[in-house]
Amino acid sequence: MKTEISKAQIDRLGDRLRKGNLTDSDLRLLDEYRRSFTSAYEKVVGLIRRELEVDPTGRPAKSTTSIGEKLRRESIRLSQIQDISGCRLIVAEIADQDFMVAALSKLFPTSAVIDRRQKPSHGYRAVHVVATIQKRAVEIQVRTALQQLWAELSEKLSDLVDPAIKYGGGSESIQRILTKASALVIRQEDFELRLISQKKRANRLLSTPRPEGQVNEADVRVIQALQERVDSHQEHVIKAREVVLECLKDIVKDLSD
Amino acid sequence: MLFLIEYAREKGKLVTFKAFSEKDSTLAKNTRLELELDLNRRGVNREVVLLEAENEEALRRTHRRYFENLEELVRAS
Repeated sequence: MKTEISKAQIDRLGDRLRKGNLTDSDLRLLDEYRRSFTSAYEKVVGLIRRELEVDPTGRPAKSTTSIGEKLRRESIRLSQIQDISGCRLIVAEIADQDFMVAALSKLFPTSAVIDRRQKPSHGYRAVHVVATIQKRAVEIQVRTALQQLWAELSEKLSDLVDPAIKYGGGSESIQRILTKASALVIRQEDFELRLISQKKRANRLLSTPRPEGQVNEADVRVIQALQERVDSHQEHVIKAREVVLECLKDIVKDLSD
Repeated sequence: MLFLIEYAREKGKLVTFKAFSEKDSTLAKNTRLELELDLNRRGVNREVVLLEAENEEALRRTHRRYFENLEELVRAS
């Protein structure tokens, strides 16, 4: 019968991963440790698919390269890493993101929510919900389409130019551009939130019951004004998205030049 | 479906891409391990990861970095 790997064994393996020069038995032990997340991963992804009717892309086990880098970058033990196993959900806008995070929190009541919109990590914005099943953590990343695009660009630049870029290091000019792009994503999200708020106000007014034929002119004016603001915000949202994309295209052009 | 990815980070290029059905998940995991062992013995530094998605199209949507260069990432947005 196979014995479970002890925490001490895992952390000693983590020390060796931090140093590099891994042996076959190190890689086999790491593989065994990662496979111990399979059941928790399958439960989490299965529940998301069944209950929320969405299809996340899963990463049952973090790569050895990424684990090694994380151990070298942070003062953390292997047994403490929370994203050994995880999955990703991409939603259209910030309202969908809030909705999805609320649904996930309900589905996994003991989960921890890490809101990287409140506290971005070197420009990285997303919400991570960490569900723990059978003492194994599974990280669910929820990103909007724009947050996803920013993250993919940041990762690609880290791959090609300098791995430190993703963590706020490397070329200052690339950092400046990524920070600017992240600020534009925030502006876009702000527009989206204001649009939601205006729509809610308009809907509240429109759904207020009134006796037939007794809609007063003041109400009509308020509703018209709100409708105009909703339209105006809608335009801002579209324009802001275009600005973000243009900015990101500039990053790529600068790098190509 | 499961997808085995071998990715050369410094070149930003996909080296290996293999698809497995759900019922072959153990085979996929074993193939991932064997690939990693082989690369480690040869001293080749590559990112090796197994991802799960409904289909290849969904995977390409959520993990574009493995499949696209910088220009493509922005252009297709």
